[in-house]
Amino acid sequence: MAGSTSTSTLRKVVAFSFILSYILLGLPLWYKLTTVYRAPLPAEYIESLHNNQFQDVHLVIPVYIKPDVYQFPDIHDAVQVQVNHLLDSMRQTIPWSLQILPYDEKVMDENNEHHIVNLQLSDFVGYNSAFDSKETTVFYDDQSVVSNDLPFFIAQTLVEHTFQLEASKLSGPLSNNDDSITVGYHPNIHLSISLLNGDGTPVGWDIDSSLKDYFTPFRKLLSPIVNFTVDSSVLYYNDLNLHLLNSVENITAVDLSHSIDLSELSSMNYFEESTALNLAIVFPNSETSSSSGLEFIKSTEPSKNWQSFLVPQWGVIVINKYPLPSNAFLTESYLSPIMYQFAQDLFKLMDLTDSNSDEMLSPYVRIDSFKRITTLSNLQKATETLWSLIKLTKSFEQMAVPSDVMTNVTKALSLRLQIIELLNNPEKGGDLVWNEALSLSNTLVSLCETAFFHGEMVQQNFFPQEHKVAVYLPLIGPLTVVTLLGFINIMKEKKVLAKIKNQEKEKEEEDVKKVD
Amino acid sequence: MRSGPIATICCFILNVVLFAQATELNVTSSSINDHDTNPSLELLVDTDDKTNSITSNDIEDVRVDDINERENFNVITINDDIQYPFNEKLLIRPLPNNNLLASFAFEMESETFIPGHDESRSDQYRHFTVFPKAIEAMLGSTSTRQLHLRFTRGFWDAESWGRLPHDGFKSGGSGVELWAIIEAGSQKEAFDQWKTLANSLSGLFCASINFIESSRTTYPVKSFQPKSTEEGLPIFGGDETKNNKLYLLRASLANEPICTENLTPLLKLLPTRGKSGISSLLDGHKVFDSMWHSLSIDVTTHCDFNTQTCKYDMDAEVDMVIHVPYTLARNEHPIPRPTPNSELRCDLTKPYDIYQCFPLPESNSLSFEVSEIFGKPIRGSNLISNNPSKVCVDIGDNHENNSWEALLKVNGSHFGTDDNCFDLENKDDYDIYISSSNTNEIGRHSEKEEDVPLYVSRSLTGYGQDRGGLRTVFTNPTNDTIRAVYFESLPWFMRLYLSTMKLESDAAGAGLDLHDVITSVHYVTAIDHKRPTHLEYTIEIPAGTSLAITCQFDKALLQFAEYPPDANHGFEIESAVVTILKPWSYQIRTSTLLLSLSTPDFSMPYNVIIITSTVLGLIYGSLYNLLVKKLVTIEEADEIASQVGLKSLITRLKKKFI
Repeated sequence: MAGSTSTSTLRKVVAFSFILSYILLGLPLWYKLTTVYRAPLPAEYIESLHNNQFQDVHLVIPVYIKPDVYQFPDIHDAVQVQVNHLLDSMRQTIPWSLQILPYDEKVMDENNEHHIVNLQLSDFVGYNSAFDSKETTVFYDDQSVVSNDLPFFIAQTLVEHTFQLEASKLSGPLSNNDDSITVGYHPNIHLSISLLNGDGTPVGWDIDSSLKDYFTPFRKLLSPIVNFTVDSSVLYYNDLNLHLLNSVENITAVDLSHSIDLSELSSMNYFEESTALNLAIVFPNSETSSSSGLEFIKSTEPSKNWQSFLVPQWGVIVINKYPLPSNAFLTESYLSPIMYQFAQDLFKLMDLTDSNSDEMLSPYVRIDSFKRITTLSNLQKATETLWSLIKLTKSFEQMAVPSDVMTNVTKALSLRLQIIELLNNPEKGGDLVWNEALSLSNTLVSLCETAFFHGEMVQQNFFPQEHKVAVYLPLIGPLTVVTLLGFINIMKEKKVLAKIKNQEKEKEEEDVKKVD
Repeated sequence: MRSGPIATICCFILNVVLFAQATELNVTSSSINDHDTNPSLELLVDTDDKTNSITSNDIEDVRVDDINERENFNVITINDDIQYPFNEKLLIRPLPNNNLLASFAFEMESETFIPGHDESRSDQYRHFTVFPKAIEAMLGSTSTRQLHLRFTRGFWDAESWGRLPHDGFKSGGSGVELWAIIEAGSQKEAFDQWKTLANSLSGLFCASINFIESSRTTYPVKSFQPKSTEEGLPIFGGDETKNNKLYLLRASLANEPICTENLTPLLKLLPTRGKSGISSLLDGHKVFDSMWHSLSIDVTTHCDFNTQTCKYDMDAEVDMVIHVPYTLARNEHPIPRPTPNSELRCDLTKPYDIYQCFPLPESNSLSFEVSEIFGKPIRGSNLISNNPSKVCVDIGDNHENNSWEALLKVNGSHFGTDDNCFDLENKDDYDIYISSSNTNEIGRHSEKEEDVPLYVSRSLTGYGQDRGGLRTVFTNPTNDTIRAVYFESLPWFMRLYLSTMKLESDAAGAGLDLHDVITSVHYVTAIDHKRPTHLEYTIEIPAGTSLAITCQFDKALLQFAEYPPDANHGFEIESAVVTILKPWSYQIRTSTLLLSLSTPDFSMPYNVIIITSTVLGLIYGSLYNLLVKKLVTIEEADEIASQVGLKSLITRLKKKFI
């Protein structure tokens, strides 16, 4: 009897150890071996960045004041007070400020230009922004010195004119989606310039010298921000369906977008740059056009028989009133006003200028501001991409998150801090700093995109949990049933035996009674 | 640096100012003719000083257009010398049995460029005139120096039709064929660029070229070699630390369907865009309704080492063989229907009545216009080229006994020329009238050229799903020994045994040994899933001999995911390419093969899972029971069973109620 008890205990121990190893070892091991690797991304940090994009940004731009006749030892402090006051009165989504400093010869460097305010004694009060440098000249008279209006006047000039772009852009949400005309910022942009002839007659143009004369300076000017690659081409038998507009007298943007077919002009597919802008100079087909030309081209100047139209996010179309004669040659004089118009429109397409104001009074200051704003919007774009990555990984619980993604995210976050350090430092504010910040922010955007568009994640070739269970069920099912039922049986065994014993006992007792 | 940007801005502003002056003065220039004060305007009105002004474009003759003057005459001038390097030619050639070969050839050149210049430099511009931008951008980004693309479909009946057009160098095997010479630092880099090239071409031509991968790509060593030109192919090189080389890569997609979506992009590449010149004849419905058709594109880089400039040359060809009576009948009745009784041509030597008719062969007199074949006339010449569009009909010399006649039809009048070649010079609609009283008699310029130097046919032998054989028959009908290179690229799942290669020959070649015929062999074995078998050998076929070379192979099993959706259709094996080196230069391709492989039951993986799991479950269950369950005798078990469980319950219930 003792032997049978010990074997029964042993059997129970065995069954128990089976179920224990099943639950404690088997299931976790199975789970572990069949789970995909998910790198631990800093989700909370990124979420906090998403909730408050510019929590650690405070853009500081140093400005140096250079007096001429009178020397004001404390003017920078006075201007600083006024500037702070002005900036405080404005709404600031992204905090920014100006650091007013006295002119210091040592800081000035030809390669690393800073913002300078020249004070110039004159007989009137006014200001002027230089065309070719980051200098603002403030004219003042004795009266303004006496009445102590000068600091306020300088502050006003700086905030409302020199840094007007910052003042307007940093006051609201920093997004370029609100404007449907502009293309998203990209450091490399391809420009395609096409001459479209509705007929098959040969046409020549002086494009190379026109571009070199009129477009190269423009490219050089914008080279700190954008690298352009430019090509020109001549296309025959393509007038973008202009004949549909033959009888139209007044054209609207809707008419134009309904009839013009730009499908054959998208060169984006052929080039490596991800953004492409176009200039199309179109001449109508001579067979389909009427003798008076396209009615809707109404030019004020008699020599100008064309009109240019801005196509949002695509480029510019220049439509000519008359078809080209056979063997026509477009001279530089014809092309130069178009080039000039195109350059102006490019500013609009790239969000460098407000759509309303046509003139770029001080392109250099503008471009400098544009660098800062682009850097900031790149920062925003990067955090948004990272946030999308976090959302993606959260919504697909079974998706693999490779360690490469983690590396890129870590790199991106440290790069972001590096950029912010550059932006926040009040002592740094020369051209080189803004250029570096911009190029780092471009790297940041591409790093974040590399992290997001990781092949193993984007393909989404992962299996859902149910699929995994379905595949393993033929194995796990029998194992679970055998182990569990075996365990239950052995636990019930004692009861059964006890029951049998009881019955036997009862029988025996009954037998005894009967015998009695 | 400071002077740099300032100068730039100054220049920019100055330009703006200058432009303002220019436009302002343009307005007045016609009236006041004040060109002395404004030198930038001289070109516009003063014809004497014109050469100084537009020297950049080397225009010699600029004159003001008197007729089409309008107001903008001063900014748009007329230059009669504007011509672009574009040529097009259509060759129409009758073939036996009322067939017609139409060969469209287009040639174009790109503008010159200086290799290795950084495109993002602010004074760097690329210009395109007739050369397609898409092709050039693709070649530039993948460092491709030569590109050859073929879309061919159909069977060229060499025994009846004779030589292939362009001696076979412009037509591929049935399907899509691509080879390119790519400059790269290493073979891996070359392959990466090749992949990019294939993907770009795939997008451009709406074809499945993107399916080209390493398991289809070979690096030919004897075939497909570029024609040796004087200067050779350039290596742009980049910096000197990079030791760049040229790599020749080739791949083919056997029996890939070719259709309108491949022809339309090709037409879009032409400057005339299919709207004028001979390309206006090309229409997908007609091109692909032919017996055999081939579209080809060849791009080569040419460099001038003196000026350090390069340019691309592109040849595009569209060749097709049309059965004329069929096409004409199709025009009449787009839906085929039986020939009416009245039009039946019966063999009168045999019994015929209203119920029976033994048809005669097709009539051998033919007269048609090209517009009937292609559905439309030629819409004028191309106007941009330095040469007018040309149409030639190859029917031999015009003499009295020639049964053929070809005439050019313009505005209802017909014109003929001695050599049957016509230059199309203006915008009129042109048509070509061709007639023959005996289509079986076709005049040719030279008889020697017409002989096909070699017939090659290839077939699969053997049966079953585990092994097979490959048999290639070479027949030399000429009186010269033919020296040729045989190129074959077989998928990795055909495991070729080179040791089983055998030679069989007819009576003329009796006694020939394999080593007598095959002089050198280049063989690259396949790597499963990665590399195809690549076999190239030089073969000499004696005059008037027929040889057969056989080889055995094993069929491999593919991985589950590698089977196409229509696995039971079989696997297309690309054509072998035979390039004849001596005594003529000629290229032929065999037809493609269809290899059937054993296809698995595609529910297999789940069955495997189930069986494995069941076996594991059984083993585990037995083991568990052995360890955990108690061994009892049958009596004991019965006893226990009678007291617990279902049986005892029933017994007890019986006891209670009965």
